Amino acid sequence: MEPILKTENLTMTYRVGKVDVPALRGVNLSVAPGEFVAIMGPSGCGKSTLLHILGGLLKPTSGRVIVDGEDLTAVSDAARTEIRRRKIGFVFQRFNLFPTLTAEGNLRLAEHIHGNNRRQTDAETRREVLKLLRLENKMRHKPLELSGGEQQRVAIARAVINRPAIILADEPTGNLDSENSALVLQMLAELNKQFRQTIVMITHNPEAAAVTERIIEMRDGRIIES
Amino acid sequence: MASLKAMMRDNLVMSNICQRPTRALVSIAGIALGVLLVVLNTGLVHGIMSDRMRREQSLGAELLFWRSSSSNLSPSSVLSLHVRYAELLRQIPGVRLVSPVARYVQSGSSGIGIEQIDGIEFDTYAAISGLRIVEGRVFQNDDEVIVDELKAEKSQARVGSEIQVFGRKMKVVGIYRPESGARIKMSLQAMQRAQGAPDKCTFIMIKCEDPEQQLEVQQRINAALPHNTVQLTREIATGFERSIPGLAGFVNAVLALSTVVSTLVILLAMYTTITERTREIGILKSLGASKSYIIGVIEKEALIISSIGVVVGLVASVVAGWGIERSTILKLEFRWLWVVVATLIGLAAGLIGALYPAVRAANQDPVKALAYE
Repeated sequence: MEPILKTENLTMTYRVGKVDVPALRGVNLSVAPGEFVAIMGPSGCGKSTLLHILGGLLKPTSGRVIVDGEDLTAVSDAARTEIRRRKIGFVFQRFNLFPTLTAEGNLRLAEHIHGNNRRQTDAETRREVLKLLRLENKMRHKPLELSGGEQQRVAIARAVINRPAIILADEPTGNLDSENSALVLQMLAELNKQFRQTIVMITHNPEAAAVTERIIEMRDGRIIES
Repeated sequence: MASLKAMMRDNLVMSNICQRPTRALVSIAGIALGVLLVVLNTGLVHGIMSDRMRREQSLGAELLFWRSSSSNLSPSSVLSLHVRYAELLRQIPGVRLVSPVARYVQSGSSGIGIEQIDGIEFDTYAAISGLRIVEGRVFQNDDEVIVDELKAEKSQARVGSEIQVFGRKMKVVGIYRPESGARIKMSLQAMQRAQGAPDKCTFIMIKCEDPEQQLEVQQRINAALPHNTVQLTREIATGFERSIPGLAGFVNAVLALSTVVSTLVILLAMYTTITERTREIGILKSLGASKSYIIGVIEKEALIISSIGVVVGLVASVVAGWGIERSTILKLEFRWLWVVVATLIGLAAGLIGALYPAVRAANQDPVKALAYE
């Protein structure tokens, strides 16, 4: 089966003052459609840099990134934004919801951006997502009126509401207690199972990684075990 | 109402405005101030000009005669015309009445604008203009003046009170109607003495035997007394505003000032808010928002703030105008052209002021923006 996400000899070097700091040193990665993958490794090993490059937020120093058949490294900044809009959903450790908007407003904003000013999500998908994430009664609340677990579930709903090809989750349980962590992981697993949603998740937590189908270990900018 | 509240909660632009009410109010006030400057100042300029023009045209004379080097319409105090011209004019066929007028200009008693004082020969002036005393009496001494009804009402210049003329107190001895020329009048001789210009005046009013023959009379005067200016009173309207030195420059300065004020206020407000919202810009980028989308969000916010500012500015102008007319003798005349200009300035200032912060936001590095604390 053709991978939905693939990197070829990916490198990334940051320039800090006059010093070059390598963050990725030739990463080759392949994720199949519908796969739930965890990327683990110590701090500074390049996990977040890899995730940002996979999501088109950063441009690598060299190498290729193929997302659902489209080469992120061969296109302009605007085209990369367009690919990100259509094919990628992000979930962050700090939730990153808009504090001035309700949960409903946060979802609508994502739909608005995705749909180029037209609301495109069909009602059935929306209902299913909200039901799965148990958010039906939380939509009128603003982020500060929600618990951390609820905020992260809203963030997950925002990421999947437009049915992207890939969800990239950066330490999604990093700011949650164990109970909410388990709930969020369970929901990510259900999304993966029910919608065949491809998910790439960065985590430090072995228990979180355990719910995924495959664990990729990184160290010093390289994949050491996949 | 429910849908409006939902829009405030669910719409990014509206929720951002509501989230930072003080900043929004300051921005609205900045735009409103710009609109107020344009509408009120142009309203005052046109109001004062129209009021002066109307009173000049109410003199009752068909012709005005003055030396070519001066203009009775300019706001300068020039007594350069010898009153003997009155006798020469009276002898010209077709001239029925003449009346020399000495005009003095001082700063307005309310502290705004200017105020004119006419020195007149009461009998001839009254015969031409139809002026009559409705309360009190005619001036008899050098320190006595008469005022029209509006001046009496707005400046509390009742009979027996005192007003400042030539920097000294003069007694109001009479109130007259109708309005014509300056609102304060005194004896021609008293004005000449005060100005140190005996036998001089500023212009001479001419009443024709037959108003239909005013053009012929004008030609005869030009022939008999060349190198002077004879103007038809009915033509005062044309070029009246052009006769005021610096008027166009003043209006342009007001426009420029209001544009700069409004633009800077919006620029500073939006720049501050973009810095505050760096992380939110990063989130928008992570959601796939294009540069144009981000610019659009910020410009929409500026446009809504500017639109509210324009409405507030227009309402404030009407209220301020009402207050000025009620408490002073100044007249305001709002013209649609300037209302439109002020509206466009307010909206354009908002859009231009927000453009730089918007472009800056759109070009932010998404990873750095997401990491912003």
